[in-house]
Amino acid sequence: MKNDFRLHYPLWMMGFIVVLGIFLFGVNSPTTTDIVNTETEQSVLVEYSTVEGFVILGSIILYLLMLLVFYIQMKRHNKMNPTQKIPSFAIRPPEYLEQDEGMTHITRKASQKVYTFMTWSLPGLAVFAMFSPFSRIYTVLAILLVALIQYVIYYREIRRHFKEEPE
Amino acid sequence: MLKNRVKELRARYSFTQSDLGKQVDVTRQTIAFIEKGEFSPSITLSLKLAKALQTNVDELFWLEEDDDNEK
Repeated sequence: MKNDFRLHYPLWMMGFIVVLGIFLFGVNSPTTTDIVNTETEQSVLVEYSTVEGFVILGSIILYLLMLLVFYIQMKRHNKMNPTQKIPSFAIRPPEYLEQDEGMTHITRKASQKVYTFMTWSLPGLAVFAMFSPFSRIYTVLAILLVALIQYVIYYREIRRHFKEEPE
Repeated sequence: MLKNRVKELRARYSFTQSDLGKQVDVTRQTIAFIEKGEFSPSITLSLKLAKALQTNVDELFWLEEDDDNEK
């Protein structure tokens, strides 16, 4: 159970969200910075295009590598747990643990915490999107942050119940 | 608050949590949740546990007043 893929599924999602955030940051970061010192007119122009390219390419490669490992892990889980397969495309979140009533109970508790977070964060996010003076990318990053936090809340709650103890 | 003697009786019969879980068709973690009092099992599971531990439900589970209620 400790190595159940569904238990670690939120960690994978957190990883994907972080990499996606890095990618978006790379795409939208400024390419140059001008530092002008008057009177003598000294000017320093710093170009980030190389760094930006590295961040974008690096995040894409990392994302694809993570996707490959994720897919292999999922296949292995499905092979080892034929009665509890995780479909590639499912409406129900695969991280739900519902093998028995005890598992259903902790899944419900974790889901309730996430729901509580969502009832507060979504209106806040909507207000931020409507009135934010920042560019649109910050709204997208805020959405990713909310998605990340919901997985953190869910994972922490489930993990709390799975602290291994001697039988 | 629901109290229980699952751990005590399980030890008496030298069952591990996994052994007992298999007998009543639940995971080891669910047995651990019950023993720690984190989860109150359904009547069906309580009856299965009582049968596996060769006792009655009312000897296996009982209600105890919370400290707040006693004051």
